[in-house]
Amino acid sequence: MNWNRIGAIASRKFASIRRDHRMFAFIIMMPAIQIILFGYAIGGSPTDLDVITVGEHPIYSELEESELLILHNVSDLEVAKQQVENGEAWAVIESNGTTLTVHFDASNQQIMQTIINEIKTATQEIYPTLALQIAEPIHGEENSEFIDFLAPGIMVLVCFMFSLILTTMAFVGERNDGTLDRLFAAGVQPSEVLLGHLIAFSFIIIGQVSVVISIAVIVFEVPMHGSIILLFSLGLLLGWTAMCLGLFLSTKAKSEFQAMQLVMPIIFPALLLSGILWPVEALPFGLKEFSMLLPTTWAAESFRSIMMRGWGLSNPLIWKSFIIIFAFGAVALIAAAKSLKVRS
Amino acid sequence: MRCIQEPIAWKDKAYRLPFFTSSMAIKISGLKRGYGKVRVLDSLDMNVDEGSIYGLLGPSGCGKTTLLNVILGFLIPEKGELNVLDNNAQVPGSDVGYAPQELALYLDLNISETLMFHGRLHEMSKSKIEERGEWLKSFLDLPDFSRIVGKLSGGEKRRVSLAVALLHEPRLLLLDEPTVGVDPELRARIWQHLRTITDDGTTIVLTTHYIDEAGKADRVGLMRDGRFLAEENPLELMSKHDTNSLEDVFLILCKRKVVA
Repeated sequence: MNWNRIGAIASRKFASIRRDHRMFAFIIMMPAIQIILFGYAIGGSPTDLDVITVGEHPIYSELEESELLILHNVSDLEVAKQQVENGEAWAVIESNGTTLTVHFDASNQQIMQTIINEIKTATQEIYPTLALQIAEPIHGEENSEFIDFLAPGIMVLVCFMFSLILTTMAFVGERNDGTLDRLFAAGVQPSEVLLGHLIAFSFIIIGQVSVVISIAVIVFEVPMHGSIILLFSLGLLLGWTAMCLGLFLSTKAKSEFQAMQLVMPIIFPALLLSGILWPVEALPFGLKEFSMLLPTTWAAESFRSIMMRGWGLSNPLIWKSFIIIFAFGAVALIAAAKSLKVRS
Repeated sequence: MRCIQEPIAWKDKAYRLPFFTSSMAIKISGLKRGYGKVRVLDSLDMNVDEGSIYGLLGPSGCGKTTLLNVILGFLIPEKGELNVLDNNAQVPGSDVGYAPQELALYLDLNISETLMFHGRLHEMSKSKIEERGEWLKSFLDLPDFSRIVGKLSGGEKRRVSLAVALLHEPRLLLLDEPTVGVDPELRARIWQHLRTITDDGTTIVLTTHYIDEAGKADRVGLMRDGRFLAEENPLELMSKHDTNSLEDVFLILCKRKVVA
């Protein structure tokens, strides 16, 4: 062991790190951004939760004080339940004097827990004798578990992340080893190169999405109330969009390492801001609006709705998701084709 | 009988000759091109005769590859005139065969798959690709076609790269350092082959580091700092400067430029 040599290697490496400004920024900035995003995105209380009250009860005015809930009064219970069924509210609170009965949309466990806590806080102070009864949920499982909330989101993340990494990495190499120049010399157009890649990678994502859905449903017994074909199609579409984005990123990267640097700042916001780990309803200030721009937010919410609520393509959330995710992919693909120029 | 045969002959190769009386495959005048603020090529003139071998000679960084990229149509000239083949030529496209300096091969394919892939890009039929493949195999002494490209030696890869450029019988061949890492015997054979295909009317522009090798070209362009010091037949160039090596010519011209 020669400390001179070790010292030489260490200072050589330090010199290259210091010279590579992008990497330096990456090393310092990325952890900071991740921690900040994490702090804002995870663990906060969801807000602006629509809850419907039926009939009259003094507790309702107490609940009005809650900063997290938005109360709407409806006279008819069936109308109220229908609204929850349609995803317009998270719960219906019904009172018969001594008992509060809550009909939940239990598809999102965090939100359900938040509403229960708010009701308990309000009743304990003033009406300690008031009983709280949870009715059979309108959506989701009676004993909803955290994994039921988490699984659809993680499935989305896996479909998105691996397609993104796969294409970004695969394409950078081809741009650097001269093979792409050779294709261009043969008169191949950038759009042809991109579509060829998309078709080949499609076989991989078909396998990927199938495996992800099968394991979730069969091994982990995550509830599946909706159409598995619809879920599969949406997963596939998300995978394609991620590939288009990956192809675009790879046209901007000079090396595999740079490609990784471009991919990481996308994966983390996707993980933290798309309602994958924690409801988007808990995001502060502009972040909630920002998350609506991410295809993963739409995919996660739709996955959850297809699996837990059993919603189909006729539901606005689901068809909007298809359109938005497709549009995102199309824009990314066009940007990739524009960025991949034969002539400069 | 003659009347029936003539159109076939015309279609075959004779059409390259009569219609363009200049018989110039590449004509460049006053070319200027750089990257951002870096000026690489400046006031460059180049004349390549159809059916000839043109050797681009010069130190690395003098702009040889940039010049090839301009000819290929990858880089748009900032200034100057550029004529490659004729107006209808597909460049980039099937009229040009290009072997980049990097090997530019898919290392996970075998040789047969490599040729099949590139043949399909040029819309060649499977049987045509196989026929050309057999011919290239014997000519370039290629290894067994089932061998994976990534596992071949440097020289073998270089030959596969050359085979890809030759596969579709392009009218113009642009070869960036085609003989690097190839043994002298094979290098001689490659040159012999290049000579054979120029006899059929193919035009070849190649870059090389081997000065003696460039002496076999019909014309050499001695390049330095983005322009030609000289552009002539190598034998004439040597006799003009009263020497028998191109290297000396290069040194004389460099000195003269410094003095000027």
